[in-house]
Amino acid sequence: MKYLVLIFKNIRRNPLRTVLTGMGTMMLVCVVTLIWSVLSFLDRQTSEKSQNLKLIVTERWQLPSQMPLSYTDALSKGAPRGPSDLTVADKDSMTWQFFGGSTEEDPRNRSPDSILFAFALEPSKLSMMMDELDELAGSTAAEFQAVVDKLSANRQGLIVGKSRLELLNQKVGGRLTLFSLNYPGIKLDLEIVGLFPPGRYDLSAAIHRDYLSSAMDQYERETGRRHPMMDRTLNLVWLRVKDRQEMSQIAQQIESSPQFRNPQVKVETASSGIAAFLEAYRTLIWGMRWLLMPAIIIVLAVIIANAISISVRERRTELAVLKVLGFRPNQLLCLVVFEALAIGLSAGLSSALATYLLINFGFGGVTFPIAFFSKFFIPWESVVLGTIVGAGTALAGSVVPAWSARSVKVSEVFAKVA
Amino acid sequence: MPQASIVRVVNVHKYFRRGSERIDVLNGLSLEVAQADFLALMGPSGSGKTTLLNLIAGLDRPSEGQVIVGTDVISSMSETQLATWRTRNIGFIFQFYHLIPVLTAYENVELPLLLLPLSAAQRRQQVQTALQLVGLSDRMSHRPGQLSGGQQQRVGIARAIVTDPTLIVADEPTGDLDAKSAGEILDLLVELGTTLRKTIVMVTHDPRAAQRAHRVQHLDKGLLVDKPATAYEHA
Repeated sequence: MKYLVLIFKNIRRNPLRTVLTGMGTMMLVCVVTLIWSVLSFLDRQTSEKSQNLKLIVTERWQLPSQMPLSYTDALSKGAPRGPSDLTVADKDSMTWQFFGGSTEEDPRNRSPDSILFAFALEPSKLSMMMDELDELAGSTAAEFQAVVDKLSANRQGLIVGKSRLELLNQKVGGRLTLFSLNYPGIKLDLEIVGLFPPGRYDLSAAIHRDYLSSAMDQYERETGRRHPMMDRTLNLVWLRVKDRQEMSQIAQQIESSPQFRNPQVKVETASSGIAAFLEAYRTLIWGMRWLLMPAIIIVLAVIIANAISISVRERRTELAVLKVLGFRPNQLLCLVVFEALAIGLSAGLSSALATYLLINFGFGGVTFPIAFFSKFFIPWESVVLGTIVGAGTALAGSVVPAWSARSVKVSEVFAKVA
Repeated sequence: MPQASIVRVVNVHKYFRRGSERIDVLNGLSLEVAQADFLALMGPSGSGKTTLLNLIAGLDRPSEGQVIVGTDVISSMSETQLATWRTRNIGFIFQFYHLIPVLTAYENVELPLLLLPLSAAQRRQQVQTALQLVGLSDRMSHRPGQLSGGQQQRVGIARAIVTDPTLIVADEPTGDLDAKSAGEILDLLVELGTTLRKTIVMVTHDPRAAQRAHRVQHLDKGLLVDKPATAYEHA
């Protein structure tokens, strides 16, 4: 405690250098915090849960998965064939069809903002099965349920995220026509019935699956031939099971069923499905984790080492004086290390805290569209991480200059002074 | 009159290496300083007086021979042991004061006390006493940059005596001061010797400063000599 005055006065010795070092640390800690937040979110998504698992049923050999609509009923129940087989309850299953369209009919006029990808599904499953939406509480849950009810009642309804609504330059209650990109010849006239809660689904959209089915029926009536996507319209089926044992049995029931031979299906957990999807980003994620993060941390340590080295070099005579007064070599080492720690710790903490508050509450998340995820939020753990990174790099960066301070030779310093 | 020896330098050699070359600075030098003595060491540049002072103050160790201060054989102590020993036994006065510029006069004087097991109140008491002794009670909150050279050296002396050391060593304490300030600093050192019975070893080039000491020893080529061969010049 009694050395604190000395430490803080030394830090204030060159305020400009201290501030610049602190700001450099803050910037880099901010970047590390952001990257870590994205990586830890993806890690959480790809780590297996032990209870309340979601199984994903997809076509085995093809990406994107495209299964016939005739698979829907059997897959949604978990393909039970005998009395001893498990049956998945209706509330625990969900089908997914992906519909991509543009508000512009003429392909030449299409732009990224005019294109909308929507999940076609049973509306009630939005609040029962979708990640995070099934955990809403209080007024947010009630408000979203009201939106879901509107979609249930209106087959031509559309639910969108706030950011997507802004990109479409629309508002709730507005109407739009989507000319399909992946269902040739299909166009959907939609009415925006409400919004997803802010967060993960800000750029997403959902429509009623019955409307897509009826649009394909209409196509058949008008053209006299089945729509080419009719037998490939089911993209995914989600099944919720209570534990790993149930998961294994349901997976075995589905994969051994002769009903799903052409095309064959496979069963994965949500996490392994996401992990498989993220394979496409493997190099990017690997680079972020093992190149970018370490590089930033090394740069941070070098910045601190440089600033502390200059400070130590400037103070060699003072350090020698302290030695003369009786300061032991290790006390000088600690003095320099604690100066660096004070800068790193305060810059790391303030940067991580500011990042947490600014990103989560100021900007409403950081936009980093990867896989199914459009926005990321900074977990509170990042404040601890940022502080540790700031302090840790300061510690690492101060080792060499602190050792140099420890090794100051009094007789050499004063020989030069004289 | 001076009493029993408090510093004994016994047949000390000190040499440095520059590449393959060996530079002998002290060549079997022996010296005794009694309790409450005020010794001035004089000699030409390169005669080894600062090296001798550093050995007596425990800032360096001899290549051969022994240095004993009080009952401690400091020539055989490790660097860490020497640091602890210096805190309690040595007060060092520098030519260029070497105060810490970011600390006030009070905080500069308090520095050596931080290393001792003293309460804040005890430290405050000792710092105030030391600054009072050097006549700077009214400059406690001033930083070195706000003090004159003479005042800075007084703070340096207060820092040297605040731990009540066995021995005060001074390396050209008046070398950077004008004649008036130098005279005041020498008065102060003499007073420390007479009133507090401090043992003082001072290196100086200035014959007027040396005259204020109880005795003067001359060094030449690493050995004590009776009389200087030539007049000394400032290094």
